[in-house]
Amino acid sequence: MTLYLGVALVAAAVVLFIIQPVAKGIHASLEREDDEMTDTEARKRVALLALRDVEYDFLAGKLDEEDYRSLKSELTAEALAALEADDAAKSAEGAAPADFDVDLEAEIAAIRQGLRDGAACPDCSYTNEAGSRFCSACGRALGELAAR
Amino acid sequence: MTILGEFALWISLPVAAWGMILGYAGGRTQRGDLVLSAERSIYAVFGLLLLASAGVSAAFLGDRFEYWYVASYSNANLELFYKVTGLWAGQRGSLLFWALLLGFFASITVFTNRQKNREFMPYVAGVLQSILLFFIVVLLFADVNPFERLDFTPADGQGLNPQLQNYWMTIHPPTLYLGFTSFTIPFAFAIAALLNGRLDARWIQLTRRWILTSWFFLSVGIVFGMRWAYEELGWGGYWFWDPVENASLLPWLTATAFLHSIQIQENRGMLKVWNMSLVLMTFLLTIFATFLTRSGLIESVHSFAQELKIAYIFLSFMGGVLATCVILIVYRLPQLRSENQIESFLSRESAFLFNNLLLLGAAFSVMWGTMFPLISEGVTGQEISVGPPFFEKVNLPIGIVLLALVGIGPVIAWRRATKRNLQRNFATPVIVGLVTAAGLWIGGARHELALVTWSVSAFVLTIIFTEFWKGTRARARIEGEGYALAFFHLVSRNRRRWGGYIVHVGFVMMCIAFAGAAYNTDNRFNVQPGDVVEVTSPFGHTYQLTYEGLSVSIGRGQRNLLWQAIATVSVAQNGDPKGILTTEKRQYTNRNTQPMTEVGIRSILREDLYLILSALNDTNGALNNQPGAQGIDLQVLIKPLVNWIWIGCFMLAIGTVIALWPSVDRRRLPGGEKTSEREAALAGAD
Amino acid sequence: MKNNGRFMVGLVGVAAVVTYLIWTGVSETMVYYVTPVELMEKVEADPTFHDVGVKVGGRVVPGSYARVEGELLHVFTVHDLVDESATFRVEYRDALPDTFTDEVEVVLEGRLREDGVFEATTLLTKCGSRYEAAPEDLAGAGAEHPSGY
Repeated sequence: MTLYLGVALVAAAVVLFIIQPVAKGIHASLEREDDEMTDTEARKRVALLALRDVEYDFLAGKLDEEDYRSLKSELTAEALAALEADDAAKSAEGAAPADFDVDLEAEIAAIRQGLRDGAACPDCSYTNEAGSRFCSACGRALGELAAR
Repeated sequence: MTILGEFALWISLPVAAWGMILGYAGGRTQRGDLVLSAERSIYAVFGLLLLASAGVSAAFLGDRFEYWYVASYSNANLELFYKVTGLWAGQRGSLLFWALLLGFFASITVFTNRQKNREFMPYVAGVLQSILLFFIVVLLFADVNPFERLDFTPADGQGLNPQLQNYWMTIHPPTLYLGFTSFTIPFAFAIAALLNGRLDARWIQLTRRWILTSWFFLSVGIVFGMRWAYEELGWGGYWFWDPVENASLLPWLTATAFLHSIQIQENRGMLKVWNMSLVLMTFLLTIFATFLTRSGLIESVHSFAQELKIAYIFLSFMGGVLATCVILIVYRLPQLRSENQIESFLSRESAFLFNNLLLLGAAFSVMWGTMFPLISEGVTGQEISVGPPFFEKVNLPIGIVLLALVGIGPVIAWRRATKRNLQRNFATPVIVGLVTAAGLWIGGARHELALVTWSVSAFVLTIIFTEFWKGTRARARIEGEGYALAFFHLVSRNRRRWGGYIVHVGFVMMCIAFAGAAYNTDNRFNVQPGDVVEVTSPFGHTYQLTYEGLSVSIGRGQRNLLWQAIATVSVAQNGDPKGILTTEKRQYTNRNTQPMTEVGIRSILREDLYLILSALNDTNGALNNQPGAQGIDLQVLIKPLVNWIWIGCFMLAIGTVIALWPSVDRRRLPGGEKTSEREAALAGAD
Repeated sequence: MKNNGRFMVGLVGVAAVVTYLIWTGVSETMVYYVTPVELMEKVEADPTFHDVGVKVGGRVVPGSYARVEGELLHVFTVHDLVDESATFRVEYRDALPDTFTDEVEVVLEGRLREDGVFEATTLLTKCGSRYEAAPEDLAGAGAEHPSGY
């Protein structure tokens, strides 16, 4: 007897639980929330990450300078396009362009600066003083004077 | 409790049907009330399945032998541990267990997404509910109800097959099921994407962790099964290309392919149709795996049951899912176009694609080898048998090329690799590989496939080690950190990549171990107490084994053991005493079979010494302690490198966990703890 | 596109290699799976069939098992599942699986020698529903069973 009572209770509880939203008009949220990444943001992120990986690969010595330069220009163009697309999408929505990729861009900027100043050696990754013409660790010529 | 569980199972049927309909309807009509009801139905079904499972467990614990399932897999004397885990000891309970796990994962998915991804969730709920409904229908209507009662109550149960009373065999099915069922989540999201039209990489990003988790459980589950076979089946082998083993390997192969091809879609917007097909195929293969082991279609030493009704139900379901998905994919073909092209044969995209083709080729061959005998019989009437020689002949070459790709893929450049890039990254590893080959040859190794495997392994390990080295060094220089700290930061800043490398290292270790089987040794002796036999390891050292004698114990039915005959062997290596190994024969009371063999294994990094008590010369004499009746057939196996399988699996597991680990400490970002997941991702997290 | 063309070539190439491996794999390693009756018929029709490796399924004749002293050699007689009068002797030189008993169904791999004895290289026992029991079996559960070989 108690068994059938128990079963009936379980069944009733379940039915109430699942019918309630329809009966009482309680709604689950169906809106895309502000927090969700949009497609353009996702593409921008992929492009920036690819750029970051290229910088690191070059510094780790996996890419030589010519490959690095050509890849970097390609990826920079793509990243720029992605950034513009994202900005366009955002201003279309009326939101101000967000600036959340502080960390990543700052990092890339710092690396680029270091390379531009000829500080990091592409061969052995030794961080030389800015303005050095030759690497103090391995002797490679740095900066514009690097021979191909 | 058990009857409550039975009713709970019946109640879950209309609830699942309701939830399924409302999920699809809610997504289509965008009505929040329908969607909420559908989501609640998922929780409800999980709760009811939990009750049902508890009911089955209660029946085991309470020795309720009027239930066919309990009587078949338990008896009064069975150890508590095996009563508790009796839920998945056999076919019926396993199906319920599967449904339970699916309900669990479905509930987690719905709960964690209750405020997110709202375009997907109604359809995700609908799909999950459809699959749950299928399993519930099978349980209730296909003669596989775990609550089925006999007309009488047996005095005691049959007990559990002693070979299943082993730690590994208890955790192997649940681990595999965790893998199978968790893969349903990515599948559900893929269908949701086909239904709602968001066909970019979003559904992949959302389910990346599920995919990895599923792959983790599949890999580990398969290796647990290997360990069980190795320890318990007593033949010294760990893989037999048995249809049931193959059934679990198939989804693993396609899931591995999928794991790699999604990276191409994320990075380059390509292979969208391919990825949809792969996720569908993997899901179908997980259902196929259940079908194969549960329907008696393949007769193997493994096969559990012979029910045909269930075969029809499974085949119809799989057919229906396949047809629906193909229609959806064709319908969405325009939106599934690739955004980019493969630019060069020599590129990472190409390597990944090649990897996929090989994995699918292997899967196809395994499928073919498993099903061909059936097809042939159906078509020609002539029965044919296809065994390990076939599978090895086809899959070993594929495996070796795949192994090479494990080294090439991560390092070759995206889009197009220049000759300089190739030279820079591959010259040294290739040399190392060749030197290894030469060294092994000089050292006396002559088995071609093993030689090639080990040389390619050296090539791959060189590449991976160099990656870690270059990355750590670069980071140490730039950040001014010590190498240890640099290494730690390197890995933790890009867990996906470096975790992946660790997984690859584990895989290479396993390949090295598999190749070691080429040098297995097998010797048989008939010995009397006091006899010493000697075997030589491929590594050059020798073992001196002294058969000390037999000790017999007659049990009183505790743990269902009638008697045990334990052979003790002292082991010395090159004359150095190393300890004792035992191997035994055990007769269980509840099975009308030959005594079971328990092997004795001594493991060192290099190899295993594996002893098998094949037969007693005179069983009755031995049991009666007659002098002179102590002779035995002793089989001595040496298994070189076998422990690197388990070590490699462990590395694989660690690497996967690292890759899965959530990576950004949000407090470090501007905005502090209020930083959302989106902001964190944009800041370069994975 | 030219690039897609190249990739179709690559894809077809891989597919071709895999197909070739499967084709030769099956034809070189496949084994006929026959009944004792079929095996004896084949051998009569074509005496060279004595040298062909086959797989045979049958059942051990009760009481026919013997272990040859001093050697790792087991001999027993196997009969056809359908026509029980069709039998042949089997010689097997390896360890018996734990599940080998009187009247067990077996699957043997090997060849039928000219002298009518089947030389088995592999022996598997087929215990159909070895992990599951029919309800009738359960009625007698709990009784002690005699020990095996």
